[in-house]
Amino acid sequence: MEKWARREDERLLSGKGRYVADIHVPGCLDAAFVRSKVAHGVLRAVDCTAARDVPGVVGAWSAADLPDLPPVPYTLLAGLSTEEAVAGREWSALVKDRVRYPGEALAVVLGEDRYRAEDGVAEVTATIDPLPAVVTPSAALKDSVRLFDGMSNVVLRGEAGEPVDPAVWEGAAAVVEATYRQQLLMPSPMECRTVLAVPDGDRLTVWSGHQMPHRLRRELAALLGWSADRIRVVVPDTGGAFGSKSAAFPEFVAVAHLAVKLGRPVRWIEDRLESMLVATRGRGQDQRVRLAADADGRLLAYELSIDADVGAYPHLGAGLPMQTAWMAAGAYTTPHVHATLRSVLTNTMVTYPYRGAGRPEAAIAIERTMDLLARRLGMDPVELRRRNFIPPDAFPYETPVGRVYDSGNYAAALDLALETLDHDRWRAEQARRRTDPDALPLGIGISCYVERSGGEAGGLHEFGSLQVTEDGRITARCGAAPSGQGHETVFPALVAKFLGVPEAQVRLIEGDTDEQPEGLGSFASRSAQVDGALFQHLANLLIEEARTRAAGLWELPVDQVAWTDGSVHTAHNGSALMDLGELVKHTGPLRIEDRFETGQAFPFGAHAAVTEVDPDLGLVNILQLVTVDDCGVILNPAVVRGQAYGSALQGIGQALYEGMQFDDDGVPHVASGFLDYLLPTFTEVPPIEAKDTHTPSPNSPLGAKGAGESGCIGTPAAIANAVADALPAVDPELLQMPLTPDRILRALRASTHEEDVR
Amino acid sequence: MKTTLKVNGTDHVLDVEPRRVLADVLRDDLGLTGTHLGCEHGVCGACSILMDGEPIRSCLVLAVQADGRSLRTVEGLTGPDGEPHPLQRAFSAEHALQCGFCTPGFLMVAAGAMDADPDLADHPEAMDHVVGSNICRCTGYGPIRRAVERAAQERRTA
Amino acid sequence: MKPAPFDYAVPRTVAEAVAALGDTRRKAQVVAGGQSLILEMHLERVRPELVVDINRIPELDGMRVEGDELRVGALVRHAAFEPPDAVPGPLGTLLAQAVVNIAHPPIRSRGTMAGSYGWAHPASEWCAIGVALDATVELAGPDGARSVAARDYFLGPFRTARLPQELITAVRLPLLGENTGVGFIEHRRTHFCFAQVAVGTTLTVDDGVISDVRIALVNSADRPLRARAAEDALRGSELGALPAGPRVRDEHPFARAGRIAAEHDAAPLPEPFADVDHKRRIIAVLVARTLLQAANDRRARLAARQGDHR
Repeated sequence: MEKWARREDERLLSGKGRYVADIHVPGCLDAAFVRSKVAHGVLRAVDCTAARDVPGVVGAWSAADLPDLPPVPYTLLAGLSTEEAVAGREWSALVKDRVRYPGEALAVVLGEDRYRAEDGVAEVTATIDPLPAVVTPSAALKDSVRLFDGMSNVVLRGEAGEPVDPAVWEGAAAVVEATYRQQLLMPSPMECRTVLAVPDGDRLTVWSGHQMPHRLRRELAALLGWSADRIRVVVPDTGGAFGSKSAAFPEFVAVAHLAVKLGRPVRWIEDRLESMLVATRGRGQDQRVRLAADADGRLLAYELSIDADVGAYPHLGAGLPMQTAWMAAGAYTTPHVHATLRSVLTNTMVTYPYRGAGRPEAAIAIERTMDLLARRLGMDPVELRRRNFIPPDAFPYETPVGRVYDSGNYAAALDLALETLDHDRWRAEQARRRTDPDALPLGIGISCYVERSGGEAGGLHEFGSLQVTEDGRITARCGAAPSGQGHETVFPALVAKFLGVPEAQVRLIEGDTDEQPEGLGSFASRSAQVDGALFQHLANLLIEEARTRAAGLWELPVDQVAWTDGSVHTAHNGSALMDLGELVKHTGPLRIEDRFETGQAFPFGAHAAVTEVDPDLGLVNILQLVTVDDCGVILNPAVVRGQAYGSALQGIGQALYEGMQFDDDGVPHVASGFLDYLLPTFTEVPPIEAKDTHTPSPNSPLGAKGAGESGCIGTPAAIANAVADALPAVDPELLQMPLTPDRILRALRASTHEEDVR
Repeated sequence: MKTTLKVNGTDHVLDVEPRRVLADVLRDDLGLTGTHLGCEHGVCGACSILMDGEPIRSCLVLAVQADGRSLRTVEGLTGPDGEPHPLQRAFSAEHALQCGFCTPGFLMVAAGAMDADPDLADHPEAMDHVVGSNICRCTGYGPIRRAVERAAQERRTA
Repeated sequence: MKPAPFDYAVPRTVAEAVAALGDTRRKAQVVAGGQSLILEMHLERVRPELVVDINRIPELDGMRVEGDELRVGALVRHAAFEPPDAVPGPLGTLLAQAVVNIAHPPIRSRGTMAGSYGWAHPASEWCAIGVALDATVELAGPDGARSVAARDYFLGPFRTARLPQELITAVRLPLLGENTGVGFIEHRRTHFCFAQVAVGTTLTVDDGVISDVRIALVNSADRPLRARAAEDALRGSELGALPAGPRVRDEHPFARAGRIAAEHDAAPLPEPFADVDHKRRIIAVLVARTLLQAANDRRARLAARQGDHR
């Protein structure tokens, strides 16, 4: 066995990893930001004078001191925002006149180190006249408090599918309705955001823990008014991202601007308190659903309406809720599906993709509602799902909300989940406990999800290259930028397999815009699906080029030159043989570059949970959690399994523990950091049994679909359904996530009262 | 303030401002950047190291408090002959790391527990306490728990 | 999150420490384990001008039994209470049950019991146990040493009877007799947060009658609390048959005591995910369950002793 399972491991296990904060640049200044303590208010004055006199402080600036400071860029990628939404709503990197979210930066201080920079921050004074804050969509929708004067807080309205004919609801045997709150979550990678800008002649090198280095380069170049080739973005080791590290944030704008202005290296290493105040959030939707079925449990219509709190500025995520609308149909053949949404500005940091990015919200809504319907029909939730699954022979399947699912076998995933769970045994145990008044109630929950990977049209491609040197070594490059997914291991192995060479002969370079001039990055679970296919494509091009060159060398027709195990040889008798290194020696440098595009893919799966609820304390204990995911053809089983475990952990977080809480004045309750916002720890997490089925995607030559977001999408509803199943007397609508002890006790009490009244 | 830190067997005499936390001095003054700062308030544990053999949060200890103490960081885990520590091998084999940011903290808490208890593998609760000491956002913890057990077993049978 | 500048003193004796604290021109903080102080400095809520580090004062280290009391020096770390036999008798069991709820090993290796008394967080396990068991806090100040009963020591959240110039040198806890059983249960949302509520109890039974009972309520008021009304309701009553557990039915005396503790003794403050009503409900349940735990502990203790005698 190799000493290390992944090429990344040796350095990361011996303290030799290099994250941005580990990079030592002589003379580098640390940036710290003066942050608003109020959620909403009119900024009257910022005074940095005293800060400038603090020993070790190199400078301090408010927006008024930096008239040339460019605003924060917006993105139209994947429909994340629109020109219409951002028009008239500038996002200043430092507040000019109006604070719109707590922690918004009022001034920046540069110090010889972070201690000194923070000493300076303590000396800056700001005067803000507070305004009422709105932190929920329902409050913001009233438009009685407007974030931008004279403009509505509603920045985007969207729709997928056609309105359902009222006759369908009227004629249905059963109609269930519910509302769900998809609470605001913090992605919380262990490494917060980082940026280090180093001027070098007329260029700027920017180091950042980032998912999209080429986008960052493009956006920074536009801010500085430079051509993109004057900026090099390098992504070193990155301590997790989960969607939250792919934009140019206000602090990045200030750091790049000051580095250029001063001609000195400047870095911002976000600390955890900053991150909890001003890093992007995920989820954040108020949903209303309606689901109809006939007496046999065949789904007739489904309606989902969403009011999404997208934060104070529409620049990065106003369009994100469309991802939910497009996935509203779930795994079912429901003939009528209609989703509508309103994206509403609130006095919070912006909502942005967080692992799952719109699909958890869709999956949780339909999967919780399926259990409601099963309860209404008196039908087994498993059977209800089976009756309505899109059958394997119906693919490609176009849903009423406009997605074309590529492939699937939803029943097979569910079967494997139930078998792994030993579903019947748990049902028997549940029945036993229901007759024992001293036993803790037990519930079983399932959730069958479909999601989307690869990205949206216009962003389903990637750029890359394969380069061979005279020693036969192959360097693979692509536009991806990993944050823990093991690309250095997976992609060289893939290239080696395609070419038939030893893995050790191939190395990967990613995350450096000087090495790889064009690229998209790592997001939307796309790297295996898109970059994997790209490398297969490049390998085929390389083989063709090698055969062509050998044919020229040997003066043979190309069809008489064959390729086997990394060498060209004559097809019929193998009389001539030459490996790649030899070929390069004889024919000159060899570098294959191209762009490759795949279609969208639709991974799916079935998650099942067994929970026990202590009805006196409201505590939920997960006894068993099974995840069955299908991401098509798997490139590296251990890496994919790791993604399943990690995303399930985060799904558990949404179900039971995590959620932003706000004080009355709109300031999030995070002053005690991770003692306030609770991430799941080992103590809470059950052993996770991760299994997979394999239904190849016809939309990608490798057949791979995205892996990595499954648990965030599939697990929360499985747990919520299990809790609801444990407490049959409780109105499931009262069981809103996170299912904390106080919420569970309140729900139990409400149902007891109801029974008393009857 | 003059402070002597014995780090991974080497003495370092430093002039340290009292307010500087140990993690910053290790990282910035000694260049030992394997110790990571994930939360700076003692919760996440990415900065965990050993002080006189005991696990500590190096963000919750002032460097001056460590004067004269013996410290061990992730850089001191590998044997003098370059041979990986059983924990390093086990973490890799069990895929107990992904992004690697929290990993040094887990390694050091586990290393302290293994040194303190040669029979750690027989004490599942103690191993639970090790894994329950820190936060990881990538692995779901199960692989870390398996890696600690694997290394502890290897140490015992060695 | 970096601490602001401060002066730093490293006394070698209690007298030196007291002298350093006597400089009242500067806002001083004592650091022992520092697991609350340095945390609060990172969170920018505490900004001392002087930090007095008592870790180099050998006379503050160590714990020992003195008469019928356990004397815990100011430098004794939380982790010292983890071995079940670190402290003799049921007191040792109670402290061992409680200590594993204090954060996790890397925090317990530094933080101290006396430090918890100094910080006086309403959610401190040690402080509530001390109040319920009639612990004594030893203080050294410019005018010499004095002792303060724990019940008089805690004045509110982070407020105590300690004067700024005084140093906690030790905490003294009375040992518990062998006919006493103990219980401790903590309720919190994850392993990494403070207790929403925790309860510790001791139950002493003589001839089938509850002769003494102590109920410690953690995070159930603005300071650590002893549930005297609930204790009074139980003291002198017969123990009776014990439920199989862990749930205790409403009509059982332990459950009744729980309700009294929740309604009459506790004065909880609301928190996110734990309003006053929620805390009262949890207090009621935990009091009942810890009493049951204590009764079972006592029974097991007696059975073990009888086994020894055989």
